Amino acid sequence: MAQGDIDLGVQVGSIAMKNPIATASGCGGYGEELAEFYDLGRLGAIVTKSITLQPREGHPPPRLVEVRAGMLNAIGLANVGLDRFLAEKLPALARFDVPVIVNVAGSTPEEYVAVCAALDAADGVAGIELNVSCPNVKRGGMEFGVAPEPLAALVEAVREKVTRATLIVKLSPNVTDIAVTAKAAADAGADALSLVNTLRGMAIDPWTGRPALTNTVGGLSGPAIKPVAIYMIRRVWEEVAGPRHLPVIGLGGVQFAEDVIEFLRAGATAVSVGTANFVDPQTCVTLVDGVREGLARLGVSSARDLVGRMQRGGET
Amino acid sequence: MAQPATQPDVSPRRRLEMPVLDRRDAGSDYVRLVLGAPDDWISRPGQFLNVRCESAPRSAAASERRPLDYEDGGEWPQATGLELGRRRWPVVRRPLSISRLDRRGRVRVEILVRPVGSGTQWLASRPVGATLDVVGPLGNCFTPPADDRLAVLVGGGCGMAPIFGLADYLADLGREAVFVVGAPAVAQVPMRFKRPPEATGDVARPCPTILEPHVPVPTVLATEDGAGGFRGTAVAAAERWLDQAVADRPVAFYGCGPEPMLRALAALAERRRAPCQVSLEQFMGCGIGVCLSCVRKMRDPGSEVGWTYRLTCRDGPVADAADIVWE
Ligand SMILES: Cc1cc2nc3c(=O)[nH]c(=O)nc-3n(C[C@H](O)[C@H](O)[C@H](O)COP(=O)(O)OP(=O)(O)OC[C@H]3O[C@@H](n4cnc5c(N)ncnc54)[C@H](O)[C@@H]3O)c2cc1C
Ligand SMILES: Cc1cc2nc3c(=O)[nH]c(=O)nc-3n(C[C@H](O)[C@H](O)[C@H](O)COP(=O)(O)O)c2cc1C
Ligand code: FES
Repeated sequence: MAQGDIDLGVQVGSIAMKNPIATASGCGGYGEELAEFYDLGRLGAIVTKSITLQPREGHPPPRLVEVRAGMLNAIGLANVGLDRFLAEKLPALARFDVPVIVNVAGSTPEEYVAVCAALDAADGVAGIELNVSCPNVKRGGMEFGVAPEPLAALVEAVREKVTRATLIVKLSPNVTDIAVTAKAAADAGADALSLVNTLRGMAIDPWTGRPALTNTVGGLSGPAIKPVAIYMIRRVWEEVAGPRHLPVIGLGGVQFAEDVIEFLRAGATAVSVGTANFVDPQTCVTLVDGVREGLARLGVSSARDLVGRMQRGGET
Repeated sequence: MAQPATQPDVSPRRRLEMPVLDRRDAGSDYVRLVLGAPDDWISRPGQFLNVRCESAPRSAAASERRPLDYEDGGEWPQATGLELGRRRWPVVRRPLSISRLDRRGRVRVEILVRPVGSGTQWLASRPVGATLDVVGPLGNCFTPPADDRLAVLVGGGCGMAPIFGLADYLADLGREAVFVVGAPAVAQVPMRFKRPPEATGDVARPCPTILEPHVPVPTVLATEDGAGGFRGTAVAAAERWLDQAVADRPVAFYGCGPEPMLRALAALAERRRAPCQVSLEQFMGCGIGVCLSCVRKMRDPGSEVGWTYRLTCRDGPVADAADIVWE
């Protein structure tokens, strides 16, 4: 099949992506830096760094360490805050022909609701992605996303205010069964799910005994977590997303075009690329070309046709 | 921090392959790599490259022994114990300062590599003809003194790389400068000498026997063991030089090297009420300002707490020493 005949377009809620490649939250800033390396308009979507109601400085360094086959980070949600995001960062992104998905974080349900309501009313916000891997200060710091009830309550509260933008819930992998939280988010009104956020991890300097991160605990990302992400996406696709036709944005270790194809087969409609941007700032555009080539090799005319298409275990 | 990162005369950041045109050992601790760059490449002293590295081919110790030794009845070369663990495959790029830029004829960019771990060991072993996957030029740069004051360039140990390029740059601008380089011993100075530099004790004076590289300004050597040049640190040598040769002339300090050295230099600058720019090092995830990992605390009168975090890769690595909140 000729590469020119291939349709890379995919649909996530009301967001029409020209290809299944997006940046991942926290790994492409607000787009302006990556725009120095390529036209952001070539991507399927941009997902911003988490935005909170107030600006945040983030954790003291070291915030990021390299581990074998991955990175461990505890950035601490450093961001410019809602007001500056709306005044400066969002207008700058409007120059590019690319849907903008704004990732939102908070420490109380009220904070999430306030930020989401403002974003839903703003021009140029195609989607809102809820980062639910944040500690809920009202529940003794338990993360919003690790138990189905508080997660459902949060998503319902936000859903009430988000009437225009596509609402995506970004699931935490730090749970016993991700299908349970996926179902809670879907029942509460999510238009799409994204998974996975980082896996909890820790590193200790063997010689000094000091934790490698000032925050001690961090989130593991990169190639190391890809098989976990594939498994969880498959599980969610089979239990929740497939039967309900709910789009999934897959992420966790995507670096090469083969990875994208693997994520689509597992059940993702699109992928987000995080850590791989650090290795090569051009990763995302390279993936767009690579996926087109890959689909041509497979003789598949549309990226949509590959979603969930996997052989049963043991089949030949 | 000074913010000239997007100076109009610096070429845009990009990812590119750079061939290794020349490779030389420089002192016992360093390897100098000369890389080919495109004609439109312009970088400024202080800027850096982010280089994709692989894992060290062999541990340094194992590479000394060759398989031939086995045929000779020797031991089969094999990394053992802790050595094996050092062969990690780096995930992200490694930041390396641009040591020099030569735009006469084919554009050449020079880096000075100190092999300390897997990535830099791999890099230091790249032969002539290999290509490197590089992102750059990144970061901001040193700003020349505002007036005709004397520039005092202080480089110590690892991290002195950009000082060479700064010396070239100031000399090209016709500014007067002196370069003070410090190392534990002469062998660790990234220079070659016509004959061993003479020990000068507590006298700081330019070293006349430098063979390579050519530094266009007087160069004072300081060693901790005192076997060559001034006995003591680079900052002590700089202070001595100023007392001996400069007296009251206004100066501007520029520093590159380990953190304690930069702190000592900042203190010296404060005592002499002189401006001081230093190049900072911080672990870097991306080098381009998207991961927010490389923060340093900088004074910020506009903030409630008096400081703010700035990105070393984008707002730095060069900072005004007076802005740094040392920790
Ligand atoms: C802006 C900047 C400019 C630099 N310029 C140069 C240069 O011109 N020449 C040069 O040789 N090195 C330079 N460095 C340091 C160099 O980047 C590190 O030595 C390198 O990242 C280590 O990688 P590795 O895989 O070899 O070692 P790793 O296996 O990652 O680490 C080995 C050891 O090196 C230390 N190390 C790791 N990262 C750094 C770092 N960023 N700074 C200091 N020590 C580190 C670790 O503590 C560890 O003990 C620079 C760093 C920065 C931030
Ligand atoms: C440095 C860094 C910062 C991140 N910041 C955020 C964030 O602000 N909000 C969020 O939802 N996820 C954040 N993430 C998680 C990523 O979006 C992504 O879920 C995770 O890194 C897995 O993808 P990857 O393996 O492709 O990096 C961050 C990840 C990294 C490495
Ligand atoms: S290294 Fe990523 S922001 Fe500086």
